[in-house]
Amino acid sequence: MDRRTFLRAGTAAGGTALLGGMPAPALSQGAAARTLRFVPQANLANFDPIWGTQYVVRNAAILVWDTLYGFDDQLRPQRQMVESEEVSQDGLTWTFRLRSGLKFHDGSPVLAKDCVASLTRWSARDSMGLMLRGLQEELVAVDDRTFRWVLKKSFPKMLMALGKNSTPMAFIMPERIARTDPFQQISDYVGSGPMRFVRNEWVPGAKAVFERFADYQPRQEPGNWLAGGKRMLVDRIEWLVMPDPATASAALQNGEVDWWENPITDLVPQLRRNRNIRVDIADPLGNIGTFRMNHTTTPFNNVKARQAVMAALSQEDYMRALVGDDNNLWKTLGGFFTPGTPLYTEAGGEALKAGPRMDLAKRLLAESGYNGTPVPCIVAQDQPITKAQGDVTADLLKRIGFNVDFVATDWGTTGQRRAMKNPVGQGGWSMFHSWHAGADCTIPATQIHLRANGERAWFGWPEIPAVESAIAEWFNAPDLAAEKAAADKINRAAVENVLYVPTGFFLTYQAWRSNVSGIVKGPFPVPWGVSKA
Amino acid sequence: MFAYVVRRVLATIPVMAIVALFVFSLLYLAPGDPAAVIAGDQATPQDVERIRASLGLDRPYLVRFGSWVWDILHGDMGVSIFTNLPVTTMIQQRIEPTLSLMILTLILAVSIAVPMGVLAAWKQGTIIDRAVMAFAVLGFSVPVFVVGYLLAYVFALELDWLPVQGYTAFSNGFFPWLENLILPAIALGGVYIALIARITRATMLEVLGQDYIRTARAKGAGQGSILFLHALKNAAVPIVTVIGIGIALLIGGAVVTESVFAIPGLGRLTVDAILRRDYPVIQGVVLLFSFVYVLVNLLIDLVYTLFDPRIRY
Repeated sequence: MDRRTFLRAGTAAGGTALLGGMPAPALSQGAAARTLRFVPQANLANFDPIWGTQYVVRNAAILVWDTLYGFDDQLRPQRQMVESEEVSQDGLTWTFRLRSGLKFHDGSPVLAKDCVASLTRWSARDSMGLMLRGLQEELVAVDDRTFRWVLKKSFPKMLMALGKNSTPMAFIMPERIARTDPFQQISDYVGSGPMRFVRNEWVPGAKAVFERFADYQPRQEPGNWLAGGKRMLVDRIEWLVMPDPATASAALQNGEVDWWENPITDLVPQLRRNRNIRVDIADPLGNIGTFRMNHTTTPFNNVKARQAVMAALSQEDYMRALVGDDNNLWKTLGGFFTPGTPLYTEAGGEALKAGPRMDLAKRLLAESGYNGTPVPCIVAQDQPITKAQGDVTADLLKRIGFNVDFVATDWGTTGQRRAMKNPVGQGGWSMFHSWHAGADCTIPATQIHLRANGERAWFGWPEIPAVESAIAEWFNAPDLAAEKAAADKINRAAVENVLYVPTGFFLTYQAWRSNVSGIVKGPFPVPWGVSKA
Repeated sequence: MFAYVVRRVLATIPVMAIVALFVFSLLYLAPGDPAAVIAGDQATPQDVERIRASLGLDRPYLVRFGSWVWDILHGDMGVSIFTNLPVTTMIQQRIEPTLSLMILTLILAVSIAVPMGVLAAWKQGTIIDRAVMAFAVLGFSVPVFVVGYLLAYVFALELDWLPVQGYTAFSNGFFPWLENLILPAIALGGVYIALIARITRATMLEVLGQDYIRTARAKGAGQGSILFLHALKNAAVPIVTVIGIGIALLIGGAVVTESVFAIPGLGRLTVDAILRRDYPVIQGVVLLFSFVYVLVNLLIDLVYTLFDPRIRY
């Protein structure tokens, strides 16, 4: 007896006697086939992709807001809302023309002034946007479908900035919404994308609902990541938040959900045994594990101490701690860019892959003059990735001879503690663990953590002029060859000075019911083209 | 009686004030930064600082506390830092599943545990008594999440009788509502059943040894009448007390149960809010739970008078 029969029997027996008027569950095959039930990687706690830059917000936002350009699976920016663009000979004036017929979810047309307001808000929060702001002469609407961006200096990476998939993305919102302070959250979710956000069904922490926007005008080209025609083949997408992976796994096996974004590795064998479930790699660009040392305080303000840690590094240890024995899921890295992408290089990166060299590590530590002061190593225990890495690092540091102060905490506290610049012993820190989406590590522009401009750099505040000048070279590079040459220089300088330590490259899985088709690998769950039988 | 109720209701005001001060201070002192969580991993320290300022988290303790209390006194629990939704709206969204789960668990637990306890006391020393006690030990010992996973595995995955997760509002029908809640209620009720069954047994054993029970037997009262009319009524005060105290168990257990069965209730809201340091939500939910607990205790004190006429307020 299955659930439906059981329920029908229950309704017939008990319902007649006790609760005759109570309805049984509605079972509409058609409606079910048009509704895709999706388990996202995390809770959609807010829904402003400029204010909150978490990946989960970005993943929901791509349903609701469209972009002027979008990356395809070759990481090339392709036109999306834009019909054409024109750049002046000197590279200072960009003129963009919108496609006709674009509409917001309230029925109003998408106008150039909306793009101007949206780009203004985005550029206040995005690293590439901030660079553009610094170069900006003016950003104005010329007519309803045309806007112009005039710069003081040419910026060859303009289309990359507008089409990239790293957060925050340059989403187009109505002007009235985009005028919101970029550090304040929006409360109106009228979008320009293929799905409309059903606000009254949003239960943060539990559920978010999106319905197909009938007036959306997809491009004619086939959909390809953020590029091409974003054709929705379902009418409704329900995001069901499940904090417990075992529950999500059971729900998928039981047919209560259709697609699970990030099953944990431990549960994958069980899912694979179920003939109604398909499992595949989620994102070919994967993730890069990292730990960062504080360049401004002892002992890691001394490059020898940082080099000692790198000498003792075994990426294999980290990757096995993270993903277990599935060798298809990880690889060691000789550099800071995502493997398999054009800029990936191992120039100067031998030290990263050399494996543990404990004698060298101990010698370097002695040369650094380390005197046994405690080394606060912050490890967020509520994030499996940071916890696994932290355990490996603590062991590694102890074996070299560091006096490790293992700070077991949660991710929220890590976020606060790593921002503290105090010396060790006064709330400061020596090391923390994190990870970066491979999609964010394909180019220097989206790798805020690769910057080495001291006080203005990411946490740890490295100051390495050679890295900074190489990043500037990349921004000005006229072609891919020049970009690669710049990437080589970045890699060499970053490894030599131990800007931070990549602990390896790893992939994760996604899983879905066999009646769902059209799911592709991507740096985010690609919803267009997905249908359900 | 009326004066007593008024006095007790008024006494909740200083209790709630102390809870408010405690919760606010604890959150103020606790490490963690919602601005860093909001900003995400790509944010610069400057971005985090600016978000913190925009949320008013850079204001002094007294200013923040004063502002929060003032808003509470005006019926405004504030706005979630993350969702931008009023805390009252978020609580309204979540209260039905939690309330449903707790009520169903309570009904299930009382209707199973009290007869079990009575039966064990009546059949003291027999195999039935030992079975009830063994069940009670099991109920205390096995964590809620283990029971939850086992139930979900058997009844959802293997038998396909019930869903693994989720919640259907009562307005969508009794059976869909029950279908989603029955497994969580059983999982959550285990420890509660054990607690009530043990107390019922112990209290009944004491009462069954009293003179008036012997008198009742002597006058020819039937076994059912002796157990349920004479003994149970006189044993009710400690049982009701435990049922009331157990509400706190249910609140704590609901957090785990709601996570295991993906029920969008207040328990999960609390955990999510704590992990993100969503201060207004944490403060609102803890105040609500405290208020409910104080209220339940008041109700229990009033219920005493129904079972024991000697109790007067």
